[in-house]
Amino acid sequence: MNLEAISTKTLEIDYKYIEITNFFFKNFRYNFIQENNITLLKVMIISTGINELDRMIDGGLRTGYCYAVKGTAGAGKTVLSLFMAMGALKQDIHVLFISTEVEPEKLIEYVKSFGMDFQPYIDKNMLTVDKMSLKPQGVGIVQTEKFDLSAIIARTKKKIDDIDAKLVIFDSVSAFVAEFQFEKAARSNFMDFIREITDAGAVLVLTSESQISEEYATLEEFLVDGVIKIRTELKNNQLIKRISVPKLRSAQPINFENRFIINKQGVTILRSEQPPISLIKEEKTGISRLDDLLGGGIPTGSVVLIELDGETNYFPLFLTTLHHHLNQGKGIVIHSNVHMYSSRILDEFKRAKSDISSHLNEGNIVFIDKYNRSVTAVEAREMSQLMTTDDMISVTVELMEAFEKAKQKVVLYGDLTDDVNILSETDFLRYFALQSFNVKERRAIAYSFINFKAISSEILARLRTTADIIIRFSRVDYNNYIECRKSSTGATFLPKIVKFKDTIPLLEIIG
Amino acid sequence: MVLKIMFFTSPTCSWCPYLIDVLKRILENTEHLELEIFDVAEDIEKAEEYDIVAIPTIILPNNQRIIGAADEAFIQEQLDFFMNLGQS
Repeated sequence: MNLEAISTKTLEIDYKYIEITNFFFKNFRYNFIQENNITLLKVMIISTGINELDRMIDGGLRTGYCYAVKGTAGAGKTVLSLFMAMGALKQDIHVLFISTEVEPEKLIEYVKSFGMDFQPYIDKNMLTVDKMSLKPQGVGIVQTEKFDLSAIIARTKKKIDDIDAKLVIFDSVSAFVAEFQFEKAARSNFMDFIREITDAGAVLVLTSESQISEEYATLEEFLVDGVIKIRTELKNNQLIKRISVPKLRSAQPINFENRFIINKQGVTILRSEQPPISLIKEEKTGISRLDDLLGGGIPTGSVVLIELDGETNYFPLFLTTLHHHLNQGKGIVIHSNVHMYSSRILDEFKRAKSDISSHLNEGNIVFIDKYNRSVTAVEAREMSQLMTTDDMISVTVELMEAFEKAKQKVVLYGDLTDDVNILSETDFLRYFALQSFNVKERRAIAYSFINFKAISSEILARLRTTADIIIRFSRVDYNNYIECRKSSTGATFLPKIVKFKDTIPLLEIIG
Repeated sequence: MVLKIMFFTSPTCSWCPYLIDVLKRILENTEHLELEIFDVAEDIEKAEEYDIVAIPTIILPNNQRIIGAADEAFIQEQLDFFMNLGQS
């Protein structure tokens, strides 16, 4: 054969494979290896449908690999595998789900409680849910140790072929492992099983039960390519679920354990650098990175103390959160003063190319001005005299009630720095405590801005005690920093650089 | 009337040839019983129908199952048990 002929042949093959790869690239994510100028199709990566889990297992489930989902009873093995099945189905990947414990009908019904429906996929021949157990119902069994699982292998392979399944979930293998008296027999049987299924070009996911006290690896862990371990622990009367990947052959395993939540929205894995999310609903701040750092947002009923050094412009933070809350249809109460007053806020919004006048007209923003600088004429008339702190509180409460009646959540803004210096210490602390109490009781959110350099350290300490979240906004040299010093969710973070922008969101947290 | 004993085997089953011999020997001396052999590699539908997972599996006419290989005495015992049930 001459050289030219060889090269033409290589080209032909190359072209063919490129066609295949292009096709698959369009449909799935694939891994390729380059060998002798020929791109070979090696492994197909199937997303689990859970982003964070994909990241933990190096991108997703790999065809030809076997994974074990290990967990204590009730940890969520079945649910996790069902979500994996759904994740694959949504990518048009066909799935075979074999249950050894639960009847298929019951499983399909169970899936519905998580807001998913398997039936359309079953109808489209994309999914088979089946039950295989050693002891079918109403059958008497005598059993010895000398058997293999060739029937289950043959049946599973047939089912894989029938629907061209790329993901095979076997829930759970514990019952089968328990049938073998000797580990050697179990091992060789399961090795056969895993090899036969993965050789068919599918991903095999086995779930298996582990004991709470189990610290050593069990049989399944030796045989599979990846182990996803989940467990439940009781903490503060709450059952907390944790997930880790102690073994992964395709990549370096990730050495930390993450929390995860299972609910109707699916499985949410919180990275361990992220704080635990309390059961109280959080409100977003409008600055997505800040939300992330705070573990999802600010829990309702929180008093947020924003400490400033007097040099940093806090308006970007103030306006961005204000804008976000307005867009969510919340009612805003602003205790205005020499810094926060209506015309300035409107001007600043105009500068950021944003208009909130419609919200002002609809009455979604109300300014309370204890120095008689109210925006609306009505308010100006009503508050013709200088207001006392008690008046401020009662007006705020009335407004909160009015917003509640209109089914609007309330967000309070106030710059406290002047108040601290104008009012007597007791009056101020009483005012702050009562205001905070109202906020917490009515599940509102209060953002209180304070210049920590302009007030005494005793007062600052007291404010900090009352506040649920403390954010410090400061400037060193020419950089602005934001940090969280206290948080009811436990999500404090170290100073991070803040960059200001011209349009909303007006600030960006770097890092 | 002839009742059937079903025997499920597979090409990878190392105990099956021995077990088939045992069963044939036992059934030679037993009336009304007949042996039917299914290879799960070829007859998956049958395995599906009877929900077979392990090989070898012997299904007696009363739906009693013997999973795993056993010696002649054990199988004879199981069969006798079944025959006696039929008589009583």
